Order: sequence, then structure tokens, then C-alpha cells
Amino acid sequence: MEGIVLALFICLLLALISKYLSVPAIPFYILAGVLLGKAGLGLVSSDEISRFFSDMGLIFLLFFMGLGLKPERIAANRTAVLTSGIIDLNVNMAIGFVGAYLLGFTVIESLIVASAFYISSTAMAITSLIENRKLMLREAETVIWLMVFEDLVLIIFLALISAGNQNLIIFVAKILGVLAVLYALAHYGKEFLISILDRDDELPIIFTFAAVLTTASISMYLGIPETMMVIALGVAFATTDPDAFEQHARPFKDVFLVVFFVFFGVTIDFSGGVNWYVITVICLLAIMSKLISGVLTGIVIHGSALSGLEIWGNTIGRGEFSIAIAVLYASSGLVSPLVGTTIAAMVIVTSIIGSFTAKYSTSLRRGILGLGRKKSPPHRVHSSR
Amino acid sequence: MSAMSLRSLNLPGVGTKYEFETDKGDTVALFFTKTGTIQMYTLQKSCKTPSAAEMTPVEARRLGNILTGAIIEADQESVEIAFSALADLRVTIHSFLIPKSIAGRTIEDLQIRAKTGATVIAVCRHDKNIINPAPTFVFETGDAALVIGESDQIRMFEREIMVE
Repeated sequence: MEGIVLALFICLLLALISKYLSVPAIPFYILAGVLLGKAGLGLVSSDEISRFFSDMGLIFLLFFMGLGLKPERIAANRTAVLTSGIIDLNVNMAIGFVGAYLLGFTVIESLIVASAFYISSTAMAITSLIENRKLMLREAETVIWLMVFEDLVLIIFLALISAGNQNLIIFVAKILGVLAVLYALAHYGKEFLISILDRDDELPIIFTFAAVLTTASISMYLGIPETMMVIALGVAFATTDPDAFEQHARPFKDVFLVVFFVFFGVTIDFSGGVNWYVITVICLLAIMSKLISGVLTGIVIHGSALSGLEIWGNTIGRGEFSIAIAVLYASSGLVSPLVGTTIAAMVIVTSIIGSFTAKYSTSLRRGILGLGRKKSPPHRVHSSR
Repeated sequence: MSAMSLRSLNLPGVGTKYEFETDKGDTVALFFTKTGTIQMYTLQKSCKTPSAAEMTPVEARRLGNILTGAIIEADQESVEIAFSALADLRVTIHSFLIPKSIAGRTIEDLQIRAKTGATVIAVCRHDKNIINPAPTFVFETGDAALVIGESDQIRMFEREIMVE
């Protein structure tokens, strides 16, 4: 228990510093965890309580993501979402997988590294677009839809993680059953839900918390992925009053997610040795492959490689979802600790570099344009004076 | 007036975007972000990089007041609203700080409606708002009264009531 308090207090200070420097806080939380935990000073170790808090963090993160996924909007933008999304998925999964496999990971480990490698941080991309005042750029919309596509792919990853060795037909039937119940509740209970959310006492917040937890525990009981079901709950609830749910779920998400990041760091284990060579290569590849997919997307969607540079600048940062993948696979016991260490390092490096590329991508574009102009023969200037 | 096409768009995770192009070919875009701030971008025709301003909701409302043509003074504000669908009906809402001279008197007693035609629709006292005050409402010094009427009636209110 003291461990969590100490970790939270340090994170509070780190959050202040990261806000002051306007860089993402996630890498600092993980580093703090690494320093405090197994691999570092050994002051904090994970226990029952911290595991519960971490699980809550992940579940609320995913519920929040579900609230933002509006199926009808995705359908309306199908071509934009699909084209950029498929380029992003193929390029990055391929480079991530081949890279990891050649570095000596097993096939399953390489798949996990590639999944974490592929998925950019939605939170970092959106924050960077808003804070760097890039919303009006035409690339901004592409980046936003790219993040939506990645979220959809994540849902498939989550299903695959827990499908494991179950009977597939029963597994799918159970999922469809719970989905049907969720949608029926959101559809027929819409007025009741809205009447609860409209109250200004403690009921809306209790209801939100209970609904998310109940969905998660029923899913666990049924042996279906609770991660996927809380996303589905979010999507179902988004048909009622998503803003109210976001408002009530935000405090839980914000606090528990910090614990989730710190304790991911705490459980990082260097006892198997740290392979700096592997980490360096994966980090470099992570930055390079988003450049390739970004430039390809820029050429295909906007007809300009420079647009791709802007897309790249805002999608380098890997974050919350990469860690979610690392944590979920780690609990499946299929992988060596090196996978977690590599993903942690990749998140730390790419999120810090990403915050700078997002800030300076526009100047970078202008710089490249400027160089291009200087190379062309100088125009003769006629002075009229 | 030409048909100005206003596009609105919901961006997942970001908020709502409104965008329109002016007759001269400049573009104005507004984003109501989920963080609660409002970002306004303007892009001059044939220019590539937009310029941006970030506003709080209060600042954005103020900008809106200026753009709709309201006159804004330091402590007294006036907003004129035109309803083009209702035969171009124009209503002015003006705020007045209550002077010592009429403190202690009621709305009925001052014969505001009979003398000016304007109506007091709200009074702000110590950061609390009293909407539709009764005729027996007693003014105090420091109250801010919100008066509604045609611009002539508002002028009359200023001349007849405020100097009593």
C-alpha cells in the first residue's frame, strides 16, 4: 500500500514537470516505475492492491476509447479510414515483425512486439494536434482517423489474446451474447440511462463505475476478454450521452491509469539481462517505419510526401495501447521478460522523440521546402524602385 | 447575401469542427475541443499556413458579441440582436449600473415601463442573478440591471431613469 502512495506522489511531481515542459507524462511514469521497482531501487513491488488499481486503469482506458468510437461516423468516412489505416497496419506490422524476428525473438514474441510497435498513442497524437494548433491542417484529419483505425485493430488484438485455446464457436457465441445484451440495454434503457446521468448527485458517477466493473467481472466469469467487452460497453453507451459518461469516467481513468503505467515500470525485470542492441534497433525501426507509412499515406491521400512528414511527426509516439498489449501478453505467460523491457524502452524513446517531432514538424516541412527552392536556379529580381 | 456554406464535422477524440469559406476565398475554421477551449484558425486565400488563436469559452463569447456588432464598453455592455425572419425585428439588451440616486426605489415606483417602454429583465447583485424581478423589487447601489427594448427605449431609459 505504501508503495502505491509513494509512486502516486512521485507521479504527481512528474506530471507537474511534464505539463510545464509540455511533453507527454507517460514515459516519466514508466521510468519512475522502473527506478522504484524490481529493476531499480526495489522500493516498490506490485501486490494485490496495485494489481487491482492497474487493472482498473486499463479497463477505464478502454471504456473511454469505446465511448469515442462511433460506428456510424466511421462508416461515413470509410475510404479515408480504410486507405490510411491499411497502409499504416501493413507497413508497421511487417517491419516490426521482421525486425523483431531477425533480432532473435520467437514468432509469438515477434507478433507481440510488432503489435505494440504498430499502435501509436492516440492520447499523444490528439494532444499534440490540439496543443501545437494543427487542427486545421488537412493532415490532422488523416491522423485522427488513423487513430480510430488503430483502435479498431486493437479490439481484434484483444480478442486474439484471450481466444487462446478455447473452443472458438462457443467463445464467439459468448461474445455475441454479451454484445447483444449490452446493445439491448443501451437501446431500450436509453431514457433511463439519460435520466440517471442528468442527476447532479453522486448517482451518475456510481453508476458509471459500477457498469464498467460489472461488465468486466461478468466477462471474466464467462471467460471472454473483459478488455474487449468494456470497449463494447463504451460503444453501446456512446449512443446515449457519451459526454456525460466521459465526464464521470475521467477521474477513475486518470488516476488508475497512472498506477497502471508506474506498475508496468515496476514489474520490468532486468534479471534476464538488458539487450541494448535489441532495444536500440527496435527504437530506430519504430521511428523509421512510421516515417515510411506516413510518407506513403501522405502520397496516397494528400498527393504529397511532405504531408506524410506531418503525419509521421504526430504518430511517432507509442504509448498507452502498446503498454496494454505488453501487460496483457505478459500475463498470458508466453513471453520472456525481454519483450516487456523492449516495449517499455520503445514507448519511452518514441514518446519523447514524438513530442519534439510533433512540435517542429511544420518547421521541418518549411525547411525542406526552403532547401528545395534554393537548389532551383535563382530568379532574377527586377527592382521597380 | 450569398450562400455561405458552413461545414460542421465531429472529430473523434478532438471535438467539433466548423469551417466556412468567405466570398473572397479565405477560410475560417473553429474547433470546440473536448478540453473545453475553442481554437480559431484563419487561412488567407492562396496561403498555406493558417494562423491560430486559442480562447476560453468566455473569450469566445466576447468575440462573438463583437462580431455580431454589439457595442462593448468597459463596464456597461449592450447587445443588439436582429431577427431577420421576424421582419428584421431588432432588440437591444443593455446593462446599467444602478446609481445612488435611484437606490431604494422599486421598479413600479420608478414607472420604468410607462415612462420608457423598456423592461428590466434581470438584476445582478453580488454575483447572484435575479431573473424577471417583480415590480416590487427594490434597487440597491451596485446592482447591475439588464434592460431590454428597442434602441430608442433604451436611450429613454438612460435619460429618464438613470438620472433621477
